Amino acid sequence: MALEIPVDSTTTTTNAAGPNPGEVIVTDNLWKTYVMGDQQVNALRGVNLRIRHSEYVAIMGPSGSGKSTLMNLIGCLDSPSQGRYWLNGHDVSQLNDDELARIRNKEIGFVFQTFNLLARATSLHNVELPLIYNGTPTAERTARAKEVLESVGLGSRMDHKPNELSGGQRQRVAIARALVNRPSIILADEPTGNLDSKTSVEIMALFQELHAKGNTIVLVTHEPDIAEYANRIVTIRDGVVAGDQLSTRNRNQQP
Amino acid sequence: MFFRLLMESFRRQRRRKLLAGIAILLGTTAVTAMLALATTIGDRIHKELAVYGANIVVYPKTDLLDVKIGGVDVKPATGGSYLKESDLAKLRTIFWGNNITGISPELPVQVDATAPSGETLHANGLGLWFDHALTEDAHAQRMGAPALHPWWKLQGIWPHDSDAVVGAGLAAKWKLRIGDRLPVTLSTANGVTSGDARSFALRVSGIVSTGDKTEEQILLPLAMAQTISGLPGAVWRVEVSARTKPEDAFARKDPETLSPKDHDRWYCSPYANSIAFQIREAIPGAQAEQVRRVEQSEGTVLQRISGLMWLVSAAALLAAGFAVSAAMATAILERRGEIGLMRSLGASRSAIALLFYAETGLLAVFAGVVGYLLGSGLAAWLGARIFAGDGGAAEAVLNPVLLPVVVALALAVSIAGSTPSIRSALRMDPSAILRADA
Ligand SMILES: Nc1ncnc2c1ncn2[C@@H]1O[C@H](COP(=O)(O)OP(=O)(O)OP(=O)(O)O)[C@@H](O)[C@H]1O
Ligand SMILES: [Mg+2]
Repeated sequence: MALEIPVDSTTTTTNAAGPNPGEVIVTDNLWKTYVMGDQQVNALRGVNLRIRHSEYVAIMGPSGSGKSTLMNLIGCLDSPSQGRYWLNGHDVSQLNDDELARIRNKEIGFVFQTFNLLARATSLHNVELPLIYNGTPTAERTARAKEVLESVGLGSRMDHKPNELSGGQRQRVAIARALVNRPSIILADEPTGNLDSKTSVEIMALFQELHAKGNTIVLVTHEPDIAEYANRIVTIRDGVVAGDQLSTRNRNQQP
Repeated sequence: MFFRLLMESFRRQRRRKLLAGIAILLGTTAVTAMLALATTIGDRIHKELAVYGANIVVYPKTDLLDVKIGGVDVKPATGGSYLKESDLAKLRTIFWGNNITGISPELPVQVDATAPSGETLHANGLGLWFDHALTEDAHAQRMGAPALHPWWKLQGIWPHDSDAVVGAGLAAKWKLRIGDRLPVTLSTANGVTSGDARSFALRVSGIVSTGDKTEEQILLPLAMAQTISGLPGAVWRVEVSARTKPEDAFARKDPETLSPKDHDRWYCSPYANSIAFQIREAIPGAQAEQVRRVEQSEGTVLQRISGLMWLVSAAALLAAGFAVSAAMATAILERRGEIGLMRSLGASRSAIALLFYAETGLLAVFAGVVGYLLGSGLAAWLGARIFAGDGGAAEAVLNPVLLPVVVALALAVSIAGSTPSIRSALRMDPSAILRADA
């Protein structure tokens, strides 16, 4: 029962039927068009994608192919120009701003290539931010932020500000921040893009752990050996899904 | 927790906030000063204008017929009936007696005078108080024509006993100088001297220039005029200056038509009308009327001044609004990345809007309170400047009613000023903001 059929999404039947049980991310013919003056850029040109609960998916593709655009749509940071998107079974286009904010806060953890930490705040405060926005009481907030920071190995760096941390440590803070609300989905856009290979391995070990705990992880990367940490590799080219296959490691694990 | 976020946010971008705060501060200072002055300016202007003449005139009742030519009162002096000088002390005993600041009785008398040239010439004399104590006690207020006509310019001294002051016009015509003797006799109404009339040896103690009809008259002490005309204790007309409340619709009501309750309210308000009413009650046979000329010009002046004040206040607030708007635009532009991050971490649009509004609101309240204090000080200082020597300056300081008004204005202005930039920041997609920031 080999699942290794390379799927060409451009030719697959549509996902218009919506999500099946167990699928947390389902997109149907997703388009994103940026208008700049009289120029139109089609960053996405009809993406069909299904991601099941606790999958570990790497998204690869050349620069400018639309990976970050897709991640922003999946993370509800942006809305598609066309097409539909179901997150955890909900049609996102039906949700209002408050509900989307709640989803970003509770169900999704973002990790960015550039970390996006508040420069003037300590690690602890940066990690507390998402808890502040959902009104978690102070004592619980601090306790949870400390716990998560310890779990990413930064127990001794809680009072440091970002400019007092190394790149790898900053990314760990960002990961801790993404995890603090215990989201089921973690979206990481080139989380190791600014890190050396040794630090990258440490960060990937963290994602590995998270996946083992049952989280759904979607990770964008340029590096094939980073992508190999995932179970499944989706390739984007010119705004469409050009390839979708299991990773080598996962394939080898298949009976 | 929101509070902590707010405090943290508030402490940031201090330079921008300082600028916005100063703008609000200046705006509210101006508005407070204007409002504080506007609430007291009526009183003060009235006090200033009150020195420029009477606002109530008292006549004998039978002398009601108005004879006016070109707005000038030409009521004949020989109306036949007179007021009693001894009744005038009653003016200070009426309900609003303490508001009466000046009383000037008049008794015109037609005389024939022998000029230094030896000619016998006809002249109008006018008996007046010059520095009269209304009551016997030592602290009694001194009353008279000079107090009611502060613009009269006198050379020499005001007359006593058988002295007289002549108008500058008459003095020039007759070549009179201070110290000259001026014998007069009573002339009859048609200007023909009756043969047996008694002669009075007046002496010129001063020459006065007044700018009105008294320029051509002989001003003499009231008692002298009464003696010459043979009417002891008689007064023909009394000019009264009173501190009054500006006339409004209620002031013009006929007291007879008011309900007892309204009548009391009318009676106990210091309108010129109600004071005139009380004078009629106090002095039998007197008809008191409000002189509207002064009141009306006061009204116009007040209207113009308060119009100007509103304009200045509105301009100050508008400028503050623009300054806040500019400061907030840059402040929010600087924090776009942070706004994007906040949204990606689950802050809703309304939460972010609330944060920024709370921040400007806090700033506005701070700046508004300080502006209120500064503005009150400014009003006191301005009041002392404009209305020199006015003891009322102290009461203009810290009018507590103005505080909420001013703070509310500051809030309205800063919220209006920051709305455009907050809205534009929220309209942007968080992904675009994060990308731009990267
Ligand atoms: N806000 C925007 N306005 C206009 N065009 C945009 C915008 N964001 C992205 N694009 C365009 O959309 C296309 C896809 O961009 P995207 O960032 O998704 O690429 P990517 O696959 O993430 O590239 P990289 O690997 O370099 O990060 C690009 O051509 C880019 O120029
Ligand atoms: Mg990208």
